[in-house]
Amino acid sequence: MSDYEALMEAVLKGDIKTAVAETQKAIDAKDNARGVLDNGLIPAMDEMGDRFSKGAAFVPQMLRAAKTMQECVKLLQPLFAEGDVKSKGKVLIGTVKGDLHDIGKNLVAMMMEGAGFTIIDIGVDVAPDKFLEKVKETNPDIVGMSALLSTTMPAMPETIEALKAAGLRDKVKIMIGGAPVTEKYATQIEADSYASDAGSAVAKAKGLLGIS
Amino acid sequence: MSTKETKKKKTRQVWLNVLPDNLWLKVDKGVSIWEALEYTDIDITSDCGGMGTCGKCKVKIISAVDPPSAEEEDLLDQDELEQGIRLACRTKINHDMVIYTGEEGEEGDFLKILTTSHVITDMYIPLSQIDPLVDKKLVILPSDIQKDGLSDLDAIKQVLGPKYRDLRAPLTCLRKLTDRLKETAFQGTAILHEQWLVDWQNESKADCGYGLVFDLGTSTVVGKLFSLNDGNEVGVTSCLNSQSRHGADVISRLQYIKDHSRGVARMHQLLVSDLNLLTEHLLKTAGLTKDDIFVAVAAGNTTMQHFLLNLSPIGIAEAPFSPVLTDGLIEKAADLGLKMHEAAMLYTMPMKSGYIGGDLLSVALASGVAEQQDEIILGLDLGTNGELFLGNGKKLLTCSAAAGPALEGAKISSGMIAKAGAIEGVSYGSHRLKYKVIGNIKPRGLCGSGLVDLIAILLHLGVIDDEGLIVPPDKQTVKKLTSKVVKRNGVYDFLIVSAKDSGSGKAVYLTQKDVRALQLAKAAIAAGVETLMDELAIGVSDIDHVYLAGALGNYVDPLSTVRIGLIPQVDPKIIKSLGNAASQGAAMVLLAKKYWRKADQLAHFIQHVELSSRRDFNEHFIGHMYFPKQNAW
Repeated sequence: MSDYEALMEAVLKGDIKTAVAETQKAIDAKDNARGVLDNGLIPAMDEMGDRFSKGAAFVPQMLRAAKTMQECVKLLQPLFAEGDVKSKGKVLIGTVKGDLHDIGKNLVAMMMEGAGFTIIDIGVDVAPDKFLEKVKETNPDIVGMSALLSTTMPAMPETIEALKAAGLRDKVKIMIGGAPVTEKYATQIEADSYASDAGSAVAKAKGLLGIS
Repeated sequence: MSTKETKKKKTRQVWLNVLPDNLWLKVDKGVSIWEALEYTDIDITSDCGGMGTCGKCKVKIISAVDPPSAEEEDLLDQDELEQGIRLACRTKINHDMVIYTGEEGEEGDFLKILTTSHVITDMYIPLSQIDPLVDKKLVILPSDIQKDGLSDLDAIKQVLGPKYRDLRAPLTCLRKLTDRLKETAFQGTAILHEQWLVDWQNESKADCGYGLVFDLGTSTVVGKLFSLNDGNEVGVTSCLNSQSRHGADVISRLQYIKDHSRGVARMHQLLVSDLNLLTEHLLKTAGLTKDDIFVAVAAGNTTMQHFLLNLSPIGIAEAPFSPVLTDGLIEKAADLGLKMHEAAMLYTMPMKSGYIGGDLLSVALASGVAEQQDEIILGLDLGTNGELFLGNGKKLLTCSAAAGPALEGAKISSGMIAKAGAIEGVSYGSHRLKYKVIGNIKPRGLCGSGLVDLIAILLHLGVIDDEGLIVPPDKQTVKKLTSKVVKRNGVYDFLIVSAKDSGSGKAVYLTQKDVRALQLAKAAIAAGVETLMDELAIGVSDIDHVYLAGALGNYVDPLSTVRIGLIPQVDPKIIKSLGNAASQGAAMVLLAKKYWRKADQLAHFIQHVELSSRRDFNEHFIGHMYFPKQNAW
């Protein structure tokens, strides 16, 4: 296993050129593609998530880092053998009914994708019925709901009720987030988890599925 | 302590004693302090409206203190917890309790006279154009008409001539009319509103007409008294919007009415009592009585105008953000509980949409943008929400950018509204920062204009880099303020004043997260401007004038707004503050009927651009999150 410090540094800086060159270097040195991903790219995104949670990094840096990672993954893709990269889990994500804000939700989706989850983003203003339909259709491990307006938060318990009524509540883990949402609210509406920002959302999702 | 017998009772009641007002309340055991004070006149500060997330509804428990809740542990510091400070919304009253709700050395700042500076004087209506909503006409009823057996009203019609052919009068006026005519020996002042005879007064009242203008801000309500004869502003008074106890922003207030069955009535009542307080104060100052006021014009955001009319704005809470109505209305003031002459009329400004209210239309009216054919005007009303308009009389666009309340100091760790103790301006000289504090006392926190100034200066000095990071002391190039940069929770914060020099006894910081909150707020406004510029296919250099209005726009240093990228990189010389432009537009309506028609035309002419569903807005939003690199100073 080689040292991926330069690669991690480049991803954190959002330096696509250097990151791609480092990835190529690793490939040329016959490093295991899976190793580059698991020990270089994913830890770099974890670090970015941590910095974001603290306020040390901001939205554009996070977007840039995610973009850099995507470029590197493109190089690695052809080298992955069948079943080499296992998805960490399938996440269905959307902004609840009555709410059109999607930047926060998009950041969460991006960070989760960067951490190895499969993301199904069903957009904004998603009614409980739509969540239900998509859960049936895609069979996700986690359902993520976002709300930026305190007035649209009640759509979260409504969605949970809809899942319960359809007998699907126990098949999925439910995560919620958004500016007015709190840990306490999550407990109150019996969601499984709350994440305060895109950085911590990844850790919470991993926790829910019992992966490190 | 309680016996089995008392436990059996359905609800046990306990006493809550509230100091310094010394209010005694008997409340159901288990309700929160917040709920107990909800329908009292005690004001508790809050941004979140009792959700337990903002940490601002602090009260001091004087009697036995219970252990803090998880939220309180999070939101209050150790000192506060030890002193018995708790959050009103998280503290349940389980036994008799004594609490203190005032701040130490609190001054009676709920009613303060503001002196407004009118930067643009040509916004006033020239004397020649004065044509107020309510007319006063000296009427002499000749004795031959009196003999004809004509009704009193017909006699007045005849003298007033064909213009008042359809004159009518409310019962309140008619009931007194015969007596009044006799008292005044058939020579008096007819108070006329459209085709209505509102009242008959002494001859001497003919040349002293007054009207009121209300600016219904989410945080502050302003009242102005105008002379209808010469258009002069006679007095200005403002007070905090009493609805603030139910949340700092519009969304929290909407949440409140969603959660409370009589919420709309309560909001209406709070707003009306504020307006009555302002009216009373203005009248007292000018030596007038309520019977001297026949007309008032109110402008506010769509939610506030709904509350004033006792209409539910709940539709604004969720997409597609539909209000009950957007038309301007003319209603009897008395029907709404406003204390003026019993037949006084209230005008409410036309609105455009759920988030483009009568306040923005008033600003646009006052700016004269619709009369402008060639030059392009950018107007920004910077309050809790940022509304803006761009264009001229050929094409005019407007949008609302959800900047959040950071620009008014809320959601900022040391943020506060502009009251005594708030840092409202910051300057730099002789290697140190100088803080301008409202009331000239020790600073307690930052209000919006102080926040913008401080960040602009810290950017200038390299304490904050253009990405918004508070730079670690060893990496700063200008080493003037490095001692103020301290590491907390893994990032650096900027120490504004130490505990010893602060008015609250607690250190005041600008935290890294505060900078991030401001970045989000200013990016939302800047992205709104850029989206409208795209729609008009113009660039920054095409903008000829920038007008600032609103709570922040009124006081903020234009240079600072450019430095942080809140407004585009224009020549600061073209930026002007419109003063309290929302009330200015409403005053124009009060003083000349044609502006009521123009306001209505403007509401139809201006095109609303809904940002929340646009992808390009999101891209611009992210694109404006950093600060501009260049140093304009």
